[in-house]
Amino acid sequence: MDETETILGIDLGTTFSLVAYADEEGPHIIRDETGEGRLPSVIGVVPSPEGGKPRVTIGWTARNHAVENPRATVYSIKRLIGKGMDDIRQELPFLAYAVTAGPRDTVRVEIEEDRYTPEEISSVILRALRERAERHLGRAVRKAVITVPAYFDDAQRQATRDAGQAAGLEVVRIINEPTAAALAYGIGVREALEQGAAPAPARTERGHVSLPQPTCPQGPSDKPANASAAAQTVAVYDLGGGTFDVSILRIERDVFQVLSTAGDTHLGGDDFDREIIKLVQREVQEQFGLSIDSPTTRQALRGFAEAVKIRLSEQEQANLELDLGDNRSYHRTITRNEFEALIDELVERTLVLCRHALRDAGLSPEDVEQIVLVGGSTRIPLVRRRVEAAFGRPPYTALNPDEVVAIGAAMQASVLSGAAADMLLLDVTPLSLGIETMGGAVGKLIVRNTTIPCRATEMFTTFVDGQTAIKIKVLQGERELAADCRALGEFELRGIPAMPAGLPKVEVEFLIDANGILNVAAREQRSGKQAGIQVVPNHGLTRDEVARITRESIEFAREDIDAHRRIDLVNQVEFDTHKAEQMLAKVGDQLKRAQRERIERDIAALRKLAAETQDLDELHRALDAFGKSTLHLAELGISAALKDT
Amino acid sequence: MASNANTSRGTVPAKCVSCDRSMDSPLFCAHCRTLYPADDVSHFELFGLDPSYDLDAEVIRRTYLNLARAIHPDRFPRAAEEVERLSERVSARVNRAFQTLSDPVLRAEYLLEMLGGKSATQDKNVPAEVLSQTLMLREEIEEAKASDDQESLGRLRAQVGKLCEQTLAGVAELARRLPGDEVCRQALRAKLNSMKYYQKLLEQL
Repeated sequence: MDETETILGIDLGTTFSLVAYADEEGPHIIRDETGEGRLPSVIGVVPSPEGGKPRVTIGWTARNHAVENPRATVYSIKRLIGKGMDDIRQELPFLAYAVTAGPRDTVRVEIEEDRYTPEEISSVILRALRERAERHLGRAVRKAVITVPAYFDDAQRQATRDAGQAAGLEVVRIINEPTAAALAYGIGVREALEQGAAPAPARTERGHVSLPQPTCPQGPSDKPANASAAAQTVAVYDLGGGTFDVSILRIERDVFQVLSTAGDTHLGGDDFDREIIKLVQREVQEQFGLSIDSPTTRQALRGFAEAVKIRLSEQEQANLELDLGDNRSYHRTITRNEFEALIDELVERTLVLCRHALRDAGLSPEDVEQIVLVGGSTRIPLVRRRVEAAFGRPPYTALNPDEVVAIGAAMQASVLSGAAADMLLLDVTPLSLGIETMGGAVGKLIVRNTTIPCRATEMFTTFVDGQTAIKIKVLQGERELAADCRALGEFELRGIPAMPAGLPKVEVEFLIDANGILNVAAREQRSGKQAGIQVVPNHGLTRDEVARITRESIEFAREDIDAHRRIDLVNQVEFDTHKAEQMLAKVGDQLKRAQRERIERDIAALRKLAAETQDLDELHRALDAFGKSTLHLAELGISAALKDT
Repeated sequence: MASNANTSRGTVPAKCVSCDRSMDSPLFCAHCRTLYPADDVSHFELFGLDPSYDLDAEVIRRTYLNLARAIHPDRFPRAAEEVERLSERVSARVNRAFQTLSDPVLRAEYLLEMLGGKSATQDKNVPAEVLSQTLMLREEIEEAKASDDQESLGRLRAQVGKLCEQTLAGVAELARRLPGDEVCRQALRAKLNSMKYYQKLLEQL
């Protein structure tokens, strides 16, 4: 067994997912053939014409064809994972695909006749990332660290772990996204400082994390002299596509200690897009009396709103134009100010959560020495301004907000592979854990922001003579009433020895492990020997279901990946050969005739291969060879282009 | 809970059962990394300290980080499942100890019970004036919240904060006299019970 088996670091995002790994040189993002690290967390299910197994597209392909395939393109699945139907009601009006209730308070995505669990959908994305890594590393990979929002509850964490398993990955650790970002930030700063007082140049080479500039982490401090000079208090503000987290950490050399965290698993870039969608829908209704809400328009408006949002981060205004058919078109200009007014309340909510996190850490804004921005939505100028105002200092923006979480996951993966044994990550549980007591109240066992692993025990007894089972309703949340908390499900204690009521003493242990996942164990203490009690959880997927989706998805996804890779490769062939033809037309006369003819033959041969071959590795090699053989032509083309300007 | 305060280091096993070398911590062997649940050891012993209310926060923190480094599940990545479970349990134990020792109220509470005082469930006594005072404050808070009266809320926050501070000063004074006599322990119990009422109010604000 290889002592330092590679463990992947995976950022399974609402909108985009990334995969990274670490070696002796440090962490690397694994990119696709075009140098893009992000894989859209989108899958499209295309029914096969022969009525066989459906074909699945993943990533950019699925995303680019969402409008043509509205009801079978699944996006933002992270907002559904580990949730029940009641949790996602407000989500449904914005989804173009159908969602129905599944057993045990879960949901299913319905495409044609088939129903898919969110775990299955997520596993397709994870498998694509795993295969990308395997192609890059040239060997099989079986283990991963997967990140989740810090505010994910137990059910959402378990579901994510199950998705990993279904993708053929042993999830060796679930870590929190803001904590992963802090790892990448902290190690980057330390390395930069170790390299000398002068700020280290950011490494821009592809695949490397850009090193943050050391921005005087120990400024004037009012701390006592015996406090460690190297300690720094950092806030990570992580606003992604679907979720918001804020974590307050103390970073001291290799130790990353989370002091508190707060968040909202339904607040992110998707919600900003929705404000634009609602505006357009309202105005189209007012101006044309049209209700635009079909699955196709939902998919189209989503892409449209996202593009407008991104444009407004760079420009002061953007044009909205929609062709409504019958010579009717809707158009207007939206200014950045208008957009900011639309999302102001949402941004304010993130700041309230920042205050909660600070309060729980026992700190005030001025104690925070650095604010690290993570997640694509932190590119929005309003977000940056409001964060700066709330903390009274400009946030740190030198990290790539899209990649930093995957980089941190790869760092933690290298700790767990035994390669980076100095680093230690101490995280907390985001939500209080309790059990339902008489009258529907909550008896708290573990309070939020307790460092994990943490453990509590509670004694239970029977109410009826001879009773051999006890049900315990376990809850997560901060509210006083059980009905207002998130029910993690009922655990049933079975196998209690029959005794008169009130006599059995069952000690139940609630342990939240380093993944933030609850483990329940029980023992009866009265019956002399401490009898083991069978604990039956009731939520999410059963072990059998996880096994089934693992088994079934193997073939299903093998095809998907090949289909996806094939599309990518064929597109690349199309692009490269077309470009070579253009160059030949432009600068071909500078080549010898024999060279010209060879390139023309190569173009034809590569196109033929792309159309016919089943061996994708062969096609990949041929594409690489074509790139090399046309290098001289490409250089001539570039110098010609330079002369033109 | 350990009842014997005078032998603060007495429960460290002399030798590791696994490698037979001497041990410095009741939780783990520094040589072969065998973990011990150390359930009977007090929080103070875990941190190599004599039981006392006055502790150096920086020393506690440093000790905590050293312990966590040795026993955290991340440190046993390829271990057998039972070792992983044990490291979770031992880590939970150290985390609890750190939380208790770092927090002045939890620390006083722990010290009181360790040195023969009653627990909060055994003795629920709260001075009558504290009860009526918190009742009144609660009503004021609810009123101010209902009418979104930020000025009153700010004033109430300051008032309850001050009450917490004063009570904590009282807790500290009594906790320093522990084990003390029964009167002292009962007074401390009452102060800690009052503190809970004030902390609850603070949470509502």
